[in-house]
Amino acid sequence: MLAGINKIGDLEWEVPIGYVPDMRVPGRFFLSRTLAETLEEGAVRQLANVATLPGIVKHSLAMPDIHWGYGFPIGGVAAFEMTEGVISPGGVGFDINCGVRLITTPLTEADLARRKRELIERLFAAVPTGVGAKSTMRVSNKDLSAVMVDGARWAVERGLGTEADLVRCEGEGAMTGADPEAVSAKARQRGVPQLGTLGAGNHFLEVQVAKEIVDPEAAKAFGITEGQVCFMVHCGSRGLGHQVATDHLRTLEAALAKYGIRLPDRQLACAPIDSPEGRAYYGGMVSAANYAWANRQVIMHESRKVFADLFGIDYDEMRLVYDVAHNVAKFERHDVDGVSTEVCVHRKGATRAFGPGAEGVPREYAGIGQPVIIPGSMGTSSYLLHGTTAAMEKTWGSTCHGAGRVLSRSKAKKEVRGKELRERLAGEGILVRAHSDAALAEEAPGVYKPSREVVRVVHEAGLSDIVARLEPLGVIKG
Amino acid sequence: MSFEELEHTADVLMRVRGATLNELFAEAGRAMFSVMYGPCEDRDVERRIEIEAENLESLLIDYLSELLFVTEVENTVFCTFDVELLGTRLSAVIRGELFDPARHSAGTLVKGISYFGLEIVKEEEGYVVEIIFDI
Repeated sequence: MLAGINKIGDLEWEVPIGYVPDMRVPGRFFLSRTLAETLEEGAVRQLANVATLPGIVKHSLAMPDIHWGYGFPIGGVAAFEMTEGVISPGGVGFDINCGVRLITTPLTEADLARRKRELIERLFAAVPTGVGAKSTMRVSNKDLSAVMVDGARWAVERGLGTEADLVRCEGEGAMTGADPEAVSAKARQRGVPQLGTLGAGNHFLEVQVAKEIVDPEAAKAFGITEGQVCFMVHCGSRGLGHQVATDHLRTLEAALAKYGIRLPDRQLACAPIDSPEGRAYYGGMVSAANYAWANRQVIMHESRKVFADLFGIDYDEMRLVYDVAHNVAKFERHDVDGVSTEVCVHRKGATRAFGPGAEGVPREYAGIGQPVIIPGSMGTSSYLLHGTTAAMEKTWGSTCHGAGRVLSRSKAKKEVRGKELRERLAGEGILVRAHSDAALAEEAPGVYKPSREVVRVVHEAGLSDIVARLEPLGVIKG
Repeated sequence: MSFEELEHTADVLMRVRGATLNELFAEAGRAMFSVMYGPCEDRDVERRIEIEAENLESLLIDYLSELLFVTEVENTVFCTFDVELLGTRLSAVIRGELFDPARHSAGTLVKGISYFGLEIVKEEEGYVVEIIFDI
């Protein structure tokens, strides 16, 4: 482990006050010895930088997929007091409400066998992907305002899903407090043609099989069985969200002097939660988050249509298990020194993982805890977990969000050839479809930490418990 | 003038150099488009951009963010950047071509430009800046 960091538990580490100047609270993160080998000093410094922000409560936290980003580290979680505390786009990221949803089907791997390639091709045709992808939907500016307020419900009310879908989304697929006025004309211009598109980079639509059920009771509650074919959607708020983040970061950066906030990194630009700039960012961020929920709802709808048409199954037989956000800031009630207190929780590359009985967990899952979905990288397992009481106590009800990169894009391009990778995965029974082989190399499985190790750490640290492991069968790459 | 990609696990880190500030800004534009699309040709698409900011670093971020906006909403890919700075006011003429999925899908989407570590440094032979592009 890096110098200056203290071990405080089997998998728990503390970054003491003083690691960087002006820290108000210590930092804490969760990591195994194996994962510690790839821990970057820059990521720890970013974790410590977050601890200098006004109004931070208890600790600056990071999940075991911690790595070096900008502003907050990726995997960073922090809560802020509602009166003295701040809100920061650097604690959310450019891709507001990047998230994941998991859907089960009544099919088994054998049902797919001969038609897997056809399925992947049909999904690739149905869901616009990659740089420059444009939606086939016609969305007016007025529609866009409604999307930003209603989120997934907007799509469901237009027949692109069912009421049951909404119940199985974090926050029922929308946050309250959207302010479309805080979304610039530029952001709108980017958002209109992109609703229902996957985007690029690490975003994907993946067909999977539930390979291993670890917790039968929870799996039963979540409606997932061994051998079942599922699909997973990983994407966010597209250009609209990126523009909202860019616009408000700029405004907040210019307002730092006004609030007398001194920062070790300008990417941590922030304002008091209850200030004109803070409220505007929150309203814009919520609008973008709701757009992302609508986006994933539309993509799921288009995918369901492909499955129904190809395999003659009913639309309603494809059940949404859950939809989680992993880049967002939310007002939540948590126990602070024995008192239920409202705080603003930032999760940047971290997933909400509310435990059994927590407010906000769907009634049908109340006894188990919220489903948590951790996507793997192309060719590696994804996991379904559930939230825990320990997460509520230790991490504001949060857990990891993914595998975390270990190999840079430039190195990946040198070491991996996209075409060979596609062929190798096909040999393993995993069909990959993307606009270019070059883009595949950047997202090759070897560039990420093994998802199983990250998931093992959150499981053993008690931040969430593994329910099922899913293996990929086919991937549509963004 | 040049740009090179440095090691960065999560995002894309570029070191950009220019003999003058005008060249530095032009190269930063080229660097970003090479990340997003790979090769591009000048095929009669031309666009003018005017931006003003309170300091050079903010100007660079605003300029690159504007390019991200333009490329996305206008479906254009740019490769030539004629930039003129007057203090912290920028005017640029950018040239390129219409986005063609067959030829421009080798790159990755840039989501935003980070303030983290962004500092324009004057060296003996010109200017240098390191920029993190969120991908």
